[in-house]
Amino acid sequence: MTVFKILLRIPWHLLLLAGILALVGSLALYSASQGSWQPWAGRHAVRAIVGMALVVCIAFIDFSFIKRMSYVFLAAAILVLLAVMVVGTGLGVSRWISIGGMNFQPSEPAKLSVILALARYFSSQPHDRMRSFVWYLPAFAIIAVPFAMIVKQPDLGTALMLLFGGLVVVFSAGLPWRYVFGSLAAVLAAVPLLWLQLKVYQKARVMTFLNPETDVLGAGYQITQSKIALGSGGFFGKGFLMGSQSQLNYLPEKQTDFVFTMIGEEFGFAGNIFILLIYLLITIAILRISFRVNSRFAQLTCIGIGMMVFLYMFVNVAMVTGLLPVVGAPLPLISYGGTSMLTVFIGFGIVASAIVHDRRQS
Amino acid sequence: MFRAKTKDLRRTMSRRGLLLAGGSALLTSFLGARLFQLQVAQNNRYQRLSDRNQFDVRIVAPTRGRLFDRKMRLLAGNAESFELYVTPLYVDDLQQTLAALGQIIELTERDIKAVLLAARKGPSFRDIIVRNDLSQRELARLAVRSPLFGGVSFGKSLRRIYPQGALACHITGYVSPVTAREIERNQSLEKTPYLGTGKVGVEFAHEIYLRGLPGRERIEVNAKGQSIRVLRDVDAMSGKDLQLSIDVGVQLQAAEILRRGQLTPVELGSLQVQRALAKDSDLQAHIALGDNLILQDAKDRLVPPESGAVVVMDIHSGEVISLVSAPMFDPNLFTGTLLTRDWRRLNSHPRTPLLNRATSGQYAPGSTFKMVVGLAAIEAGVISKNTQFNCSGDMELGNATFHCWRKGGHGMMNIISALEQSCDVFIYKVALKTGIRKIKDMAHRLGLGDLTGIDLPGEKQGIIPSHEWKLASQGRVWTPGETVVSSIGQGYVLATPVQLAVMTARIANGKQAVTPRLVKSSGDAAPDFAPLDVDPYALAIIREGMFEVMNGGLGTARNYDLDKSLGGMAGKTGTVQVKRITKAQREEGIVNNIDRPWAERDHALFVAYAPVKRPRYAISVVVEHGGSGSSTAAPVARDILTQLMQKQG
Repeated sequence: MTVFKILLRIPWHLLLLAGILALVGSLALYSASQGSWQPWAGRHAVRAIVGMALVVCIAFIDFSFIKRMSYVFLAAAILVLLAVMVVGTGLGVSRWISIGGMNFQPSEPAKLSVILALARYFSSQPHDRMRSFVWYLPAFAIIAVPFAMIVKQPDLGTALMLLFGGLVVVFSAGLPWRYVFGSLAAVLAAVPLLWLQLKVYQKARVMTFLNPETDVLGAGYQITQSKIALGSGGFFGKGFLMGSQSQLNYLPEKQTDFVFTMIGEEFGFAGNIFILLIYLLITIAILRISFRVNSRFAQLTCIGIGMMVFLYMFVNVAMVTGLLPVVGAPLPLISYGGTSMLTVFIGFGIVASAIVHDRRQS
Repeated sequence: MFRAKTKDLRRTMSRRGLLLAGGSALLTSFLGARLFQLQVAQNNRYQRLSDRNQFDVRIVAPTRGRLFDRKMRLLAGNAESFELYVTPLYVDDLQQTLAALGQIIELTERDIKAVLLAARKGPSFRDIIVRNDLSQRELARLAVRSPLFGGVSFGKSLRRIYPQGALACHITGYVSPVTAREIERNQSLEKTPYLGTGKVGVEFAHEIYLRGLPGRERIEVNAKGQSIRVLRDVDAMSGKDLQLSIDVGVQLQAAEILRRGQLTPVELGSLQVQRALAKDSDLQAHIALGDNLILQDAKDRLVPPESGAVVVMDIHSGEVISLVSAPMFDPNLFTGTLLTRDWRRLNSHPRTPLLNRATSGQYAPGSTFKMVVGLAAIEAGVISKNTQFNCSGDMELGNATFHCWRKGGHGMMNIISALEQSCDVFIYKVALKTGIRKIKDMAHRLGLGDLTGIDLPGEKQGIIPSHEWKLASQGRVWTPGETVVSSIGQGYVLATPVQLAVMTARIANGKQAVTPRLVKSSGDAAPDFAPLDVDPYALAIIREGMFEVMNGGLGTARNYDLDKSLGGMAGKTGTVQVKRITKAQREEGIVNNIDRPWAERDHALFVAYAPVKRPRYAISVVVEHGGSGSSTAAPVARDILTQLMQKQG
């Protein structure tokens, strides 16, 4: 395959949409630091450019190589997670690992490796096995191991994202409906057990979510202020750099988890809907690629990556609008955070590779 | 078979992919709906919440105008005061913190409750005032322990102070926090609840002038309650300073001379005095008010300082140079939170220190009223300078006998000698011939029976009785006997010390109906008073009589004249019976004043002007239950005028 052909097949529309989000993110971060490229906006923009270049690079990697390496990736991810447990840094938690002065959050790429491993697993199974629950058990194990390790960090938000991302792949692989509903019931039954396992602050978050007004200044503070910021933005927002809630620091974590709120305050309902539509377009674009690729591995990988991005966006927006408890999920490509952005771009690169090297396309 | 299954699975996967795509679209529109709800439907509500977050509207209290005496010495000023604030956001356990603070500074149950209430109501980043007026000691104690108290901070504001303490209390009055009743009358005060308002005295009379106008600022606060910037909407306008006519130096002398009277100060520390104090609740009440002057009377009994009033005024400008009412109180007690303990002490004090006797104390003027009768009679042509009547010591009228103070009588008297010796019978006879109507008319022209208009609230107008007054107030007709009693300033007649000073000033001035005022006039322009409209010839005779009181061989105050080098003075004594002397007592011989209980002793009065030749000052002195006007009140006036004239050089 010539370089030209590869370049032609790269899903540029996906890159364009990602670029728009990254640009929106840079502007929001510029505003979050009261109109300065320091400390977030500039780096965010540079990372986005590097990330997009990375997508193109990965597109050149033969997809079958990615398939071959998928279990290796999983093993590597688990090893790194193990390492985090030992040498991890973070405020009272071990989520980060420092490599050459750069902080790295291994739970992010772990999600990708789980998706790849699941896709590889299901693609190698004879089709008739897919009716029996037993053959799904290894898949659950692939999810469960990193999930448990991330919960242990503890980072419930990321762990749940990984869980849902993995389950989406399992679901797409054709998990019979009876098992879908069966596991849903099982999960519901497990909620009380899970509750006992939660840390105090995690319980507080859930309680706050259920009733934020009871504790306006404690745990409910974030969500209350977030709703005020969003609500006061109105239809067209207060204007760039004019969001009083954000500029006066009423809004916490405005550069990461609550960046959507900040955009909502400054650009209003219109700005927020625009962002939602871009995410929806990205999701649909990737799902569309999943319909077009031939191999099961490629198909499942694309669905997993597309839904992972969407789920991230959904959880984040639902969280800042008070629909879900505050779990700590970034808004992909917009929130400040290198690892998260890198993961998304690697994911897009894998999708690009899937379509570029697909047999059916030639 | 196999291919069919593969196709089957592919279809399943595609179906599931479509399902996920549809699900994504559904979830996205769900989010969109939520955003619509927050940002469009409920926008108003959140906009309001956001504004409340962002801005803290604060009323900026204006700096209250200061009060100065005539020589620009501070009577009322503003001192820095420290308050303690707490920011609930930074306090883990507010209740516990307040309890701990209560161990260090004085905090009432009510203070704590108010803070807790404010913390529940307002945003947690807003500072709540815990205590104002922290003393230096409390400040020091808090400062040392401040690391233990997160979220506790200090604020600075202005607090009214009266550097002269009690000295000018009845002139300045005091400022204290706005009361609920004031807010009821003036809604705008509600927004400035911490603003002090004048309650009595000049602080009240000139409240609007002194207060200034509050400003308003909006403070943009960030989430931590730190102000980012302050938007001044309206600047506060400071109140204007006011220069009073009072001379603090004279005031100080006057207060001391009045309070000491004819008594001798004692050493408080001595065992004997302490023992006596322990038994005497009246003395204890004095000590409790912070007054450590205890004296000894002629019978070696320990007594509190004299109570009464002194008013010194300029007879040309009407400016009040000194206005003393004793006992006094410390107006600084009122500026912050008045302690119940202090309030109880002030109210249960046997001699009502809060009463301004100079303007609100009504006394029978006694013999000082004789000038009014004399002026009315001469002006009416009833008597002339030389008209004589005999004083045999008493006068029969109907079946009543009216006595002269001097048992054997004064013999032949004219108006001048009658004033000099304060003969009652002469005045009785003149009054009967003149009639109460003309006496009353003269009294009003001299400023009695009406408010003088001095700029102090709560002034009393006294009583100048007449036919109409008695009919209206008692429903009975006036009797000649009442004219007789009124002529010597007893019976129904009542006047305030400031009215007596005005009366004396008008007699001395002769041309203008001088009115008193406490604000120093700017420039030398003499104020425009109404003409006095009293026969100058009559005035000259009366002034001669007042001169003889000090100088005549039998003058009632001949021993207490102002030194001739200072120009001398002309005056009139007054000794007012508080308790009626019964016939039986008179026959037994009157019990000496000093042997009666304090509350039954005569009031001692004295009015005078000085210098005699070119009068400048008028003074009135009332010593409550002080005994005789000549021996108790006259020397007080003399000593005060001596101090005043000496200062004038």
